[in-house]
Order: sequence, then structure tokens, then C-alpha cells
Amino acid sequence: MTDLKHFDEDHLVLHFYGELDAGAAAQTETHLASCGDCRASYARLQRVMAAVDTLPDSVLPEGFERVTWARLQPSLQRSSGWRSWFVRVPGSLALASAILILVAGAFFAGRLSGTPERADIVTADQMRERVLLADLGEHLDRSQMMLVDLVSAEDGGVLDMSAERRRAGDLVTANRLYRQTADESGEVRVRELLDELERLLVDLAASPDTLSSEDMANVRARIDANGLLFKVRVLSTAVRERQKQMRPRAGQSS
Amino acid sequence: MPQTDAAAVALARGGDSEAFHSLVDRHSRAVYRLAYRMTGSPHDAEDVVQETFLRAYKQLGRFESRANFGTWLHRIAVNCSIDLIRSRPHRETAHDGTDLEQFGAAVERNDRAGASPERLMMSTEVHERIAAAMTGLSAMERAAFMLRHFEGRSINEISQSLGLKTNAAKHSIFRAVRKMRIALEPFVAEPAARGSLIADH
Ligand SMILES: [Zn+2]
Repeated sequence: MTDLKHFDEDHLVLHFYGELDAGAAAQTETHLASCGDCRASYARLQRVMAAVDTLPDSVLPEGFERVTWARLQPSLQRSSGWRSWFVRVPGSLALASAILILVAGAFFAGRLSGTPERADIVTADQMRERVLLADLGEHLDRSQMMLVDLVSAEDGGVLDMSAERRRAGDLVTANRLYRQTADESGEVRVRELLDELERLLVDLAASPDTLSSEDMANVRARIDANGLLFKVRVLSTAVRERQKQMRPRAGQSS
Repeated sequence: MPQTDAAAVALARGGDSEAFHSLVDRHSRAVYRLAYRMTGSPHDAEDVVQETFLRAYKQLGRFESRANFGTWLHRIAVNCSIDLIRSRPHRETAHDGTDLEQFGAAVERNDRAGASPERLMMSTEVHERIAAAMTGLSAMERAAFMLRHFEGRSINEISQSLGLKTNAAKHSIFRAVRKMRIALEPFVAEPAARGSLIADH
């Protein structure tokens, strides 16, 4: 044994992964060559790591590719639709972000501020903003309807989920795009809301054909717990108000 | 259906959605497996699969046609997994060792419930054991450990991509390894310790 101290486990882990600098690695090798205790400890680590290497791959059901494609395809179409339109136009992402910030501002300030634009001049940017607002508003309304249906579903007995599942699957795709836009714009609170909504939608889209009353109670508790329905409703209202402000009004300028 | 990835990519770039479909068919399982390792959640893994192909689709124009599509996609999938993990609020696990104790206790309970070294010698049971041990990792421990162990990323790279300080990344990996040792060491002991064969050298 050399006069060096024994190595602790963490040091050996760094050595195992080649994270030590050349000098320390050489010193470690020298010590391992002469110290039975450390050598045994290192050998145990190597055996554990070798076992980890055999981590089995998750087993996926047959038809996984089919389901993946079915879920993906609408997003790709969207991607070559309005979203890529936004992406291709320079500054368009900034625009989309501005809209979300604006909506979010109204959402969380609890009021609607901002002077409506001159209604007689409609710029290309305003056109795009209207398109996005209309899409987002529609998405929020559809999500809200679904949440309402779930919350108010009759108690007791099992619920047939086959239709709800499809509905949730459709909403997931749209939701993801808005969440990404919020994410890219750093609009944390809107993103968090959409993220929360998306997790619920994803779970619903993956739910079995029927839900027991206990499962249903869980879904309801999840919707209730964070005031999800309320938040979606408030954001949806903010979007609608913003849309109204943007609407051209003939013979009237504010 | 295009014969090779390269042919499919070329067609997909031209707007052929069936060509892209064939790429999804060929690679979605591999992406899912990677994403599941990184996130530990089937739902998150499915989301990562979606996001990965969506990003790939948008970035097809940037794909170097001489590169390997699978490798390129793998890198996108790692980034998507990291983005997803980072987007979630995460609680740093306590560093006082309580969760290691709990982890050890859970492993013991599992042993009393029927797993034994002898039975675990069978590879499927070792596999179950590893998979079970993985579920005891926190999200950051899992991500950091997977990036280090399976993706070969350096601790420096890992800390940058996960948005952790170097020390925090290091400690996530140490804790993950410790948990693996707690769960697996009894079953990978050298033959001498099992009293069956003569010790090495
Ligand atoms: Zn030593």
C-alpha cells in the first residue's frame, strides 16, 4: 500500500468515467495497483456499471409507429401551415411572442389595457395577429368545453372515454404549438398553464376505453386542484377581448 | 417506400410526407427508448418523440445529406429530452442522505418480497432490478446519469445542458451511482463473496 489516502467512492466514479485529469488518473492507477482495498472497491464499481449497461429497453406495443404517426401528422401539416408561415417571416416569432405577452399581461393584470389600433389601417402584422388570436381563442374554448364536460360528467358508473380520448388527442397537438410559442417568448405563466393543460390532455388521450368513477374523480380533482378550468376561462376571455379590440370598426376610429 | 434514410430524407425535403412517414416508422422506437431512459416517464417519452420528429421535420433543410440520419435524430432527441426536463420544476433532493436511506429500505422491502440473489442471477430479474432502481432516481439524477453513462457526455457538458452548476451535476451522478450500487451490488458480487468459486487472482 502506498502512503496515499484511500480513494472514496466518488473519486473512483470520476476515474471510471475518465473525468480526472491525466495526473490524477495516473496517480489513481498507481494506487489501485498497490492497494487491495481500493482495487476491490473499484472492481465492485465496475461490476455494478457493467450491470447498468444491460439496462433493458422499454417494451413498446405493436402499432407504436402507427399511433406515433397519427399523432404527429396533424402537427406536420400545421407546421407547413400557419406556424411555418410565422417562422419564415423575419421577426414573426417576436410578433407571436408579443401577442402572448400582451394576452398574458391582460390575463394576469386582471384587466384589459392597451389602446386599440387605428381600426382603419390594417397591417400585415395585425392580420397575422388576428389569425393567431383566432386560433388560440378557438383552442382555449374547445379545451374549456372538454374540461366542463369532464367536470360535469354524471357521477357513478363508468365513463366511455373513446370519444373524449380522440378529442383530447386533437387538442394536444394544437396545445403543443401554443405552449412552444409561449416557451420561445419566455412567457412563463402562460407556458405553465398550457403545460398543465397539456399534461392532462396527454393523459386523457392515453386513457383506457372506460374510466371508473374513481378514475373520473381523480380527473376532476386534477382539474379542480389548480383551478385549471378557471385559468383557461380567464385566458380565453382575455384573448376574446383582445380580438374585439383588433376588429376593424367601420367609420369609427379611437 | 424509399429504400434508405438518405433517399427518404431527400424526398421528405421536397415535401413528400410519406417519405417522412417512413423515417418515423424506422426511427420512432429508438427515439422513444432514448427518451424513456432520459425522462423515466412513458408520457414524457411520447411527448419527446413527437417533439423530436417535429423539430427534425422543420430542420430537414439543415441536415447534412452525408451524415447519418439516425445519429442526427438521436442528438435532437437528447436535446428535446433535456428541454423537457428543464421545463419542469424540479426539487433538488436532500443531500443529507435521507433519500438514500429510503432508497435502501425500499430495495430491502423488495428483496423480502421474493427477490433473492439466486433468482436474480437470471438476467431478466437483474434487468427488472435495474429498471426498478432507475425509478428511484430523481429527474436530475436520472438525466445526468444517463447523459454520462449512456451518452458519454462529460460532466462539464452535462452541467451546461441541464443548467446545473458543475458540482451539482457531479453530485447528481454520484448519487445515481450510489443508488445503483445499493440496488445492484449484492447481485454482482465477485464469485468469492458468494462462496461458490475461488477468488480471483
Ligand atoms: Zn487504497
